[in-house]
Amino acid sequence: MTYTLLARCPLTGQVGIGIATYSICVGLYCNGLRGNTGAVMTQAFVNQSNNPLALKLLAQGFMPGHVLDELKANDPYSEYRQIAVIDRVGRIAAYSGPKNRGWAGHKVGEGYVAMGNVLAGEHVVDAMAKAYEAATKLPFERRLLAAIEAGRDAGGQAGNDGHLTERSAAVMVYGDYDHAELDLRVDLHETAVEELRRAFEEYELYRGYYKERSKNPKDAMPQFAFVETLAKKKEVAQ
Amino acid sequence: MTFSLIGRCARTGRLGLGITTFSLAVGGRCEGVAANVGVCKTQAFPNRTNDPLGIKLMAEGYLPARVMEMFASNDTEHSYRQIAIMNRDGRIAAHTGPGCRGWAGHEEGTDCVAFGNGLVGPQVLDGMIKGFLSRPDDALEHRLMRAIEGGRDAGGQGTPDAHRPERSAAIKVVDRRDYPDVDVRVDVHPTAVAELRRVLEEFKLYEEFYRGRDTDPAKAIPQDVFVAQLKAKRA
Amino acid sequence: MTYTILGRCAKTGRVGIGIATFSITVGRYAHSARSMVGVTVSQAFANENNNAIALRLLEQGFTAKATLEHLKANDEYFTYRQIGVIDRTGAAAAYTGPGVRGWAGEVVGDNYIATGNGLVGAHVADAIARGFLAEPDSDLEHRLLMGIEYGRDAGGQGTAEEHKAERSSALLVYSRHTYPDIDLRVDLHATAVEELRRVYVEYKQYEAYYRHRGEHPRGAQSQEAFMATLNTSAA
Repeated sequence: MTYTLLARCPLTGQVGIGIATYSICVGLYCNGLRGNTGAVMTQAFVNQSNNPLALKLLAQGFMPGHVLDELKANDPYSEYRQIAVIDRVGRIAAYSGPKNRGWAGHKVGEGYVAMGNVLAGEHVVDAMAKAYEAATKLPFERRLLAAIEAGRDAGGQAGNDGHLTERSAAVMVYGDYDHAELDLRVDLHETAVEELRRAFEEYELYRGYYKERSKNPKDAMPQFAFVETLAKKKEVAQ
Repeated sequence: MTFSLIGRCARTGRLGLGITTFSLAVGGRCEGVAANVGVCKTQAFPNRTNDPLGIKLMAEGYLPARVMEMFASNDTEHSYRQIAIMNRDGRIAAHTGPGCRGWAGHEEGTDCVAFGNGLVGPQVLDGMIKGFLSRPDDALEHRLMRAIEGGRDAGGQGTPDAHRPERSAAIKVVDRRDYPDVDVRVDVHPTAVAELRRVLEEFKLYEEFYRGRDTDPAKAIPQDVFVAQLKAKRA
Repeated sequence: MTYTILGRCAKTGRVGIGIATFSITVGRYAHSARSMVGVTVSQAFANENNNAIALRLLEQGFTAKATLEHLKANDEYFTYRQIGVIDRTGAAAAYTGPGVRGWAGEVVGDNYIATGNGLVGAHVADAIARGFLAEPDSDLEHRLLMGIEYGRDAGGQGTAEEHKAERSSALLVYSRHTYPDIDLRVDLHATAVEELRRVYVEYKQYEAYYRHRGEHPRGAQSQEAFMATLNTSAA
């Protein structure tokens, strides 16, 4: 039970994921992003060895279709997985196994995959795709967030007893570095997507400061002093 | 349309590729030559991702035949490619897909595989192999040069009514170092094979001098002095 | 004696090199860029091991500066080398050893290094930089070629009394793929920079066609049919 927007930004080449689920700590499964290599995600009944293997195959230079074939051939329970593979220039392969719990499916667009399982219906995936596509003026990470929020607003997940809340969520972006440009997680919360949005907007205020103190530690302002300048700005704004 | 030969020197273990074609700048599409690993060349309608991938797979330990199988499953248009692969032990896999144009085919010889498409006929492959084998004790680069010349002289590319000139050519030979021993190219020229012969012969005169500048620069003479000495020798 | 422009496009992350020299076959030790990782050159008394090492270090995540330090620590004749390194952030590190001959030095800027030795003067390095910066919105390969041409026009190699011709040149750019976007060489020519421009202009006409026939071989136009649309003759 998860809904996901996996994408490669056509402008910057960044790869990223926005994801929300009834499961807890979903972020720990999101190890399928690598700069100038690709974006991959296996969900539903998760096979945790898939993401690292897929990234290695993409790094070798295999096509996403072939990578997907390899993942399936290497897995006696492949029918239980939901998989998306995007390569360094945006070619895509996606798969929703017949043993995914319903409603399950995916939509492949230009440089992105919207996919989910145990959803309220196909309209959830459609809403994510629409929101991602509409948000072209936003920075890449905000597009991912917009997609996840649209999935939630369209009804999100639904099990045997009706609606299932999102209890964990994550948004991650990799560019040309070996470390993430953005890696935010909400691991256990009753309204995880709201909480992810709140965490993101707060973190946004700090991003420039964190980057600067890493690059130039000698002149860095102590963090509590930075926090005070933020508080003052908020006061002035109010 | 292209004709190529991958060859190995049994004595030294050096590997190399000689290639020429009607297309331009073919040397810029020959990433698949790696010391201590092997040679992999995809031509006809080339899939550019193949050659770097083939090298990585051979470096992992996959045999050429298995690499070729993986190419086939990785490429929906595999039938349009012509591919030859040789590993460091001289094992060979070759494929000429039915979608290749004109007369197309490949032929294995002693320590070599000749492959081409858009050719006047199989005699071009024979000509290449004959050229490669004609003086087997020579350095690999010379054998590859004679292979390309042999292919050209046997008729090269096109049809009996419409011959196509060679407009680019290249020879690349790797030994044990991270960079090629020999790497000469002609990118745009009306008689590229003859021009490649000229470049190769010239480079061979400089080869030792250039290596000396790398390994023992304190003793190296200035290049214009070296060039003057060459001129004097030629006169 | 060589002059070189290493460059990175800040907008797209593409990396590349343009190089011209009195030596022949320079392209064989200038295939020194890697997709989205960086670009490097080792020239003057060229240590041909350096490029592979530098690219691996850059891929590991070392900075341009740290990479240069590694090359120094690994080379007893470091003082004879001229080296440039640009990493994936666009940071640039350059070195000209005291053992390098003639006027030698570099101009290091934002995402570029103009470097040369055996030049007629510092104004050549300045001109290369100017050429690279002249059209900041143009494609990287265009900017690199302009850098080289400006260097030639400013006097290139040699001394005021004795000019030295460029006898080989090369142009190389990588973007995201495992193979280069463009890879052109002139290995042996009396006016190698002019020839590189000629090759470049010719090849650019074919570039999109070659890419397309590799990615979409079904029903691809034959090369002769394509050339007929160019209104150029075959040879």
